[in-house]
Amino acid sequence: MDMVLTLILLPIIASILLLMLPNQRAQYVVITAVLFFLGIGAFSLYTSMGLLTFQLSHTMNLAIVAADVLLLLFFLYQGRVFNHPKVMALAAVQLVLYGYIELIAPESGSAEIMVDSLSKFMFLIINGVGGIIVLYSVKYMEDEPASPLKKRLFVGGLLVFLSVMNLIVIANSILLFFFLFEMTTLASYLLIAFRDDDVSRANALKALWMNQIGGVVILLGALVAIIGFKTVMFDTLLQSSGGMVLFSIALLSMAALVKGASIPFEGWLLGAMVAPTPVSAMLHSATMVKIAPYLILKLAPALAVSMVGGIISIIGALVFVAASYLALSRSVLKEILGYSTVALLGLMMALAAIGSEESMNLAMALMLFHALSKALLFLSAGVLERLHHAKDIEDMKGMVTRSPKTVGFILFGFVSLTLPPFGLFMGKLFAISSIAALLKEHPSNLIILLSLIVGSALMVLLYFKVASALLSAPSDIRASEAIAIPNGFNVPLVLLSFFIVIGALGYIMLQHNIFVVLLALPMLFVFALPTLIRRMDRYDRSQPYHCGEKESFNAALVYYEPSLKLQRILYWGFGSLFVAVAIVGALS
Amino acid sequence: MKFFTPFRKKSPWVLHYNAGSCNGCDIEILASLAPKYDLERFGVINTGNPKQSDIFLVTGPVTYRSRERLVELYSQIPEPKVVVAVGSCTATGGVFRGMYNVEDGIDRYIPVDVYVPGCAASPQLIIDALVKGLEVLEAKSKEIEKPFKLFGAIETIHNKLSRLNMATKVEPHAKD
Amino acid sequence: MIWVWIALAPILGGLVYGGERVLRARMQRRQGPPILQPFYDMFKLLDKRTLIVHAPHALLAVAHFFVLWFSVAAIFLGWNLLYIIFLHLFAQLLLILAGYSVRSVYSHIGSNRELLMVVAYEPILILVAVGLYLVSGSFEVSQILKSGGYLTQLPLLFAALLMIVPIKVKKSPFDVGEAHQEIVGGVEIEYSGVFYEFLYMSRFLEYIFIYSFIYLFGGESHWLGALLVAGVFLLVNLVDNATARVRPAQMVKIIYTVAMALAVFNLAGVLL
Ligand code: SF4
Repeated sequence: MDMVLTLILLPIIASILLLMLPNQRAQYVVITAVLFFLGIGAFSLYTSMGLLTFQLSHTMNLAIVAADVLLLLFFLYQGRVFNHPKVMALAAVQLVLYGYIELIAPESGSAEIMVDSLSKFMFLIINGVGGIIVLYSVKYMEDEPASPLKKRLFVGGLLVFLSVMNLIVIANSILLFFFLFEMTTLASYLLIAFRDDDVSRANALKALWMNQIGGVVILLGALVAIIGFKTVMFDTLLQSSGGMVLFSIALLSMAALVKGASIPFEGWLLGAMVAPTPVSAMLHSATMVKIAPYLILKLAPALAVSMVGGIISIIGALVFVAASYLALSRSVLKEILGYSTVALLGLMMALAAIGSEESMNLAMALMLFHALSKALLFLSAGVLERLHHAKDIEDMKGMVTRSPKTVGFILFGFVSLTLPPFGLFMGKLFAISSIAALLKEHPSNLIILLSLIVGSALMVLLYFKVASALLSAPSDIRASEAIAIPNGFNVPLVLLSFFIVIGALGYIMLQHNIFVVLLALPMLFVFALPTLIRRMDRYDRSQPYHCGEKESFNAALVYYEPSLKLQRILYWGFGSLFVAVAIVGALS
Repeated sequence: MKFFTPFRKKSPWVLHYNAGSCNGCDIEILASLAPKYDLERFGVINTGNPKQSDIFLVTGPVTYRSRERLVELYSQIPEPKVVVAVGSCTATGGVFRGMYNVEDGIDRYIPVDVYVPGCAASPQLIIDALVKGLEVLEAKSKEIEKPFKLFGAIETIHNKLSRLNMATKVEPHAKD
Repeated sequence: MIWVWIALAPILGGLVYGGERVLRARMQRRQGPPILQPFYDMFKLLDKRTLIVHAPHALLAVAHFFVLWFSVAAIFLGWNLLYIIFLHLFAQLLLILAGYSVRSVYSHIGSNRELLMVVAYEPILILVAVGLYLVSGSFEVSQILKSGGYLTQLPLLFAALLMIVPIKVKKSPFDVGEAHQEIVGGVEIEYSGVFYEFLYMSRFLEYIFIYSFIYLFGGESHWLGALLVAGVFLLVNLVDNATARVRPAQMVKIIYTVAMALAVFNLAGVLL
């Protein structure tokens, strides 16, 4: 338990320290130390056995209730200040619901805090990836046009957010979970609005009201649980059967769909891309949105063979395809990454909701590797934004000559998302074979299989389309006018790449399958290529072929824009599927 | 290597370029590639890509607009290579000779190995010329061949031979 | 013994390619090149001066060839079909990256189209693997070849596979990736000499790769497999001579509507 407490308290202490330390070097020292301890703590917890439980005292519970009410009042106030009726309405609804629930809530039965193996796994993602992102953000914020205090608040805020995340994955009480869920919503809201211009504000409010829908459905779920089973604990709820249990579970998993920004809620996550890059990396791809698959994984025992689980996995799988497709029409790098995050979250939820042991393991593996790869990609995008002022992939043409190393990191990120032997690819591969094995019993999985296959193909198209913009060097004999990456950016990127490789190796070793190891062979060959480059001097360098013209051309990027009609169909379709989750839950 | 040299004449890949011809000879070249005369018997492929070609089939008298492209394409064909000038106008300017906008034959710009007479050159002659070109091809070495005019520079940068500027641009309005 | 076959795979593919050129010539009533023509071409390419644009571009073609060879070897060794498909994808992506890495319009367009081709055929290949799995109970090629009856149970899936063969061997109506008359060979364009040779040989391997999938449908009967391969080979060349090229978008559309529907319909039929 001490270890868990460390994970929760250490970031808070560190953030207070940071606020008092103006010196950048000192900041680095603090963050590195924190990162080190968090990493060690998370890892040793991950390797430890057993279930830890903890009961909150009465005063603590009261404090949480008070904080929760304050939080909702703050949302209400924000809605009033910015005159946003949706925010106000949803906050008010939550206030009423929450008040009512606290009135009828039973005295707590089992422990509010429970650390199981899933939470331990989540610690690994949150502290490992999150810590690296905090490290990166110090350098990133240096050039931000904001006051020094605000910058330090930003970094401190990210650290506090880590401890919120650490807490949310061990919450066993639905009400505690709700509170922390709202805390993450608050974090999104504040950090998206960080730059405080019109666009940021509008997008932040959008994120606020959409996420509050999640809050409402959690509360509804809790209400059903209380009325039906007199409990607000996840574990008791999951153990009970019959009656309204599936309805409650369905409502809770709808919250996951909202947090995971499944279509039609993907708007908030894309809007979040106006925030500083570490925010996008931390909240909107690597850690916070992982609550979605986490929640589904937590509920998986109940979802496993039910209609609700079926419909959620179908939604997830369809989102995987649809979001990959929609991404093809975008040109801002971070938005493209955002869409692909939405897509992959859909896939993870689909796998989690299938609920077989194997698919759940796969969902977890995907979560880890996705967090690593996406963090790497986002941080590299941030480097391009800072050093080359390029956000749009149209501005990144030929970036490889200007910033070869960053492009290398981005390409590595893409490769780690699509090719063997990296974790994410392996996850998809095993997913195909495990779903195929399930096909005979559940033919409906054919939809998921099909979406998985088509979605992966579309993702390849997406990533390599972006790669096309970055590459294209005229020749290798001109002196390059490359800008070096400062160490503040370089170290986190190298760390992430290192972990991707280590993760892939570990994952391969776990399979005990000689063929899987062999899949890694081609990669070795590719890595060996650079050493061959020196031997290439004896070949003549020549101009690319341009029909005999001397001028070099600029190749255009291809965008695949879905028609308006199709988009409308998509949104209505996914909207009704979302509602259908509740209906199916109520009926079964 | 000696061993591979005989195979040069077994697989001549051609690049066809129209340097301002009247299209008469182009049609004949296509005719000789088409089923009736079937140049593919000799292993000929019309690649349309200088970097993979051995034989440069040029038609037309070289108009001002096409000078630069002609030399650029020539410089992009890897050695050993053979240039075949198809049609009278390619050799001497033919019916276009002395016109204000033509250069009277491609051999003012690039070295020609085989000339094909005729306005238009007949497919049989073109095939003959190709076969003749193959003999030349086999005898050639792998030394870099340079154009006569518009030749820029072949430099060595960081130990690498650069042909990037082998063909220069025509200065605007410079007539010679 | 199997290693000899693997080592000979490019030569085998070269013979198939040479045979195909003769066959196509005969279909057009001409004599055509000698059957060993691909090898003459290869030897000639070795004897050329080599021009490259930049070193990584050239080396990626070499990597492409070897990874492709590896995936063909995996078929011969009887590995898991899914691994084979993804190894092949790997090889393809190396080539696509190479195409993007030079500042040349044709190369870029070629890579774009190559990507679209991957998007088109990849799902069908995986569905074929899943179909074979459902009937035989294993993804392993060696196991698949031990049972039979694929053709009777998966006729529509076979038709879907037939539709993607022209994409892989770059034949009309789906030869958008090469399209010599429009984009002068696409990704191949900037290669010459030795490095083009690797691409030229990987074309041979592609033949082996895709026709192996056809062969799998024969199951335990080698005769049936060989017959299928021969039949498909003839059919593909016939179609190549008789049709015009479609646009890339149309190609994806056709595959996604017709071939995908056939495959899914067939799989659903097997399952229910
Ligand atoms: S030689 Fe005569 S037919 Fe041939 S291109 Fe010249 S003008 Fe035309």
